[in-house]
This record gives sequence, C-alpha cells and structure tokens, in this order.
Amino acid sequence: MTPARSSSAAGVYGLGSDIIRNLRKDFRVEFRSRFALNIAVSFAAIVTIAMSLTAGGAPFPAAVQSILLWTVIFFSAMNGLSHIFVREEDQATALFLRVSVTTDSIFISKSIFNQVFMMILLIVITPLFVFFLQVNVIHIAFFILSVAAGGIAIAAATTILAAMVAKAGGKGSLFTIISFPVLLPILWVSINSTTGALRQTAPSYDNPVFLLAFSGFISVISFLLFRSVWLED
Amino acid sequence: MSIKTIALKSVYILMPATILLAFLWAPPAAILGDSSRIMYFHVPLAWVSILAFIVSGILSVAYLADKKGRFHGLVETSYNSAVIGFVFTILTVITGSIWAKISWGVFWNWDPRETSIVIVLIIYIAYFSLQGALAGNENRGRIGSSYLVIAMITLPFFAFLVPRIYPSLHPDPIINKDRTVHLDAAMLTTLLVAILSFSLLYAYILFLMKRITTLKKRIGDYHAAD
Repeated sequence: MTPARSSSAAGVYGLGSDIIRNLRKDFRVEFRSRFALNIAVSFAAIVTIAMSLTAGGAPFPAAVQSILLWTVIFFSAMNGLSHIFVREEDQATALFLRVSVTTDSIFISKSIFNQVFMMILLIVITPLFVFFLQVNVIHIAFFILSVAAGGIAIAAATTILAAMVAKAGGKGSLFTIISFPVLLPILWVSINSTTGALRQTAPSYDNPVFLLAFSGFISVISFLLFRSVWLED
Repeated sequence: MSIKTIALKSVYILMPATILLAFLWAPPAAILGDSSRIMYFHVPLAWVSILAFIVSGILSVAYLADKKGRFHGLVETSYNSAVIGFVFTILTVITGSIWAKISWGVFWNWDPRETSIVIVLIIYIAYFSLQGALAGNENRGRIGSSYLVIAMITLPFFAFLVPRIYPSLHPDPIINKDRTVHLDAAMLTTLLVAILSFSLLYAYILFLMKRITTLKKRIGDYHAAD
C-alpha cells in the first residue's frame, strides 16, 4: 500500500502542514486523556520516592546517584514513549493515517511529539530526583545540558522502535527489550556526563556532544528506515 | 565439485586440525600454562559471533535496499546468520567465563570485552523477541531487518570503541596499541588456523541452513499445490 500523496509532490509546504496537523491531533488526543504521561510520571515519582525511602537519607556517591537517575529516566521513558504508535494501532487509526498523510510527515511529527514528551518527563523527574535523593549539583548548567542531551538521544532512538512494537501489537515488555541494546551507549555516556556535573572537577563537553551527534545520526537512519516499518506490502 | 563446495567441505579437515594444533602442537603460554589453550576456541568463537552479526546486518541492508525483490532469500539468510551468531555468542560467553575463572579467579567481572559480548547477546535476544512477536505479520522481514540495521549502529561503540578506551584485563595479542604481535609463532599460527576453521564452520552451517530453508519452502509449495 502506498500513501495517497508522495512527499515530493506535496512539497515542503505540504509536508510542513501535514506535520503541524499530525502534531495538533497527537497533542489533543494525548492531553485529553494524559494516559502515557500520567503513567510515566507516576512511575518515576513512585520509583524515586521508593529509592529515597529505602535509602533512609544515606548519601550516595556521585556515580551511584547518576546511575539511579538514568535508571529512573530509562524505565519511565519505556512506559510512555511507545504509546504514540501503539495508540494508533489500538484505536485502528493507523490505516487511516497511512493513507491520508505522507510517511515522512508521520515520522517527523511522531519524533517531535516524543521529544516534547521526553522533555516534559525530564522536567518532572529531574527536580524530583535531585530533591528526594539529596543530589548536590556542582555544575548546574552542565547537569541540565547532560540530562537534556540524554533525553533527546533516548527519544530520537526509540521513535522507530515504538513503530516496530506497535506493528507487533505492543506486546508487554517488548519495547523495553528491543530498546535496551540500542539505548545502552546513550545511557553509558549520559551517566558519565551527569557524574561529571556532580563532581568538583571541570566537566568534559565530549559526552553531551556525543549524545547530540548520536541523536542526529540515529534520527537520519530512522527516517530512512521508517518507510520499511510503517508501510505494508 | 565447485570451489565453494571444496572450501566448505574443507571444514572437515580444518576443524580436527585445529583441535590437534591447539592441544598437541602449540606451546602453553608462559604464565597461564595449559589453560591458555582455550584461547584457540574462545577467540574464534568471539570472532564468528561478531562476523555473523555483521553479515546479518549487511544482508538486512541489502534486503531493504532491494525494492524490486531481485535477491530472494536475503532475509532468511540474515535470520539464519543471526541464529548461528547467537549460538556462537553463548559459546563465547561460556568459554570466556571458564578462562576468566582460571585466570582471574572469577567467572564474570564486567571487563569491557565481556560487556561488549553481552551487548551482542542482548541484541540477538531482542531481535529474536521482535521476530517472535511479529509472527504472522507480512512485514516481519522488513521490520526485523530495520531493527538489525538500528542495532548495528551500536556495535562499533561496544565491540571496538569501549574495549580500547576502558582498561581491560583481556590479553591483546593481535590488535593493540603497539601494533605488534605479542604471540609466539606457533601460537599465532594455531590461532589463525582456528579463526579460519571457525569462519568456515559458520559458512558451512549457514549453507546447510539455507538448504533446509529451501527444502521447507519446496515442501510447503508442494502441499499448497496438492
């Protein structure tokens, strides 16, 4: 099956208007129920409070705090990022979407949605984590940059994986299973980066630069592959 | 008999030769002693684990690029290569753990090279989980291939970058900072023969699996026509 209009025929203006239309629809549907956001934020809050409670105020070293932060972010993201595509399949709107708008506009709009979703998640999780786990952030601007760069990379890498999981019926923990190997380099570098922000020594900007470069690279690869995942024979 | 068949059948000579060379000809390593002989099996297994993954990834790219469907069976070969790679990765982990226990006193210590092979194992598991979840889906081949391409992006990071950046307890006999070979000539010869034998074994199993897939398809077509 091919989309009703090709990207080249619709032109840049057509692509832009398709993206805005998709985004408007996605935000309206999501924030009407706030299902994915509620689940992801609630999960993050529960895990952070549980960690703080079980730790009983014991101070953790910078590396452990960083690992715990990214563990919370990873699992919270896994609870919500696949929803954007799984919902289309669950509500049987995927076929309508496939024939009414171009594949490129679908990928770009879903990517933007996931980036916004991830940023909202980070805005909630990070202060909560810093507050409950008594994290002493030395380099505040670098810490924000590290968390933001890691979040951008996670959202960029998982958008196409969410489409794959939706095609598989959104089964259970499949999204976490297939995302984990792809997200490992991101988590590895993000942990190093945020650890640097919690220490006295001047942090290296190599880590956030790597994360942003990785985001750009994986977004391009995902954009090229999306047609193979989204369109049906 | 074609060159391909001769090359594949040579595995019947090279595999026993590898075993003989590893246990009888190659000298024991200076500090590790006879336990070092596991290297002639562990290193080729690790090599084939990565080779099979790269072959799967390249075939996936070719399958996705082949819009006209000119090359049949690419996706099956890619899947078969991943199956072989998965088994070889498990064997790599097992032989590596045994060697680690003898050399370092523990079965596992998250050495960068141990980490990288576990990542490859997790990628294989994730790929098979996705393939299993997509059973019956007409786009199974394309989605699975797309996932392998995405997963392949992370491979250089863990298989080549991390083991060279972070300090490792692993010996680096061939690829190291000095760019010199730190192995005795007999040991190096045995290792190279072992790598060649295991690579041919991988190719031979892949060839046999392709024949099985073709036969299964023919039987399916026969029953469908019946």
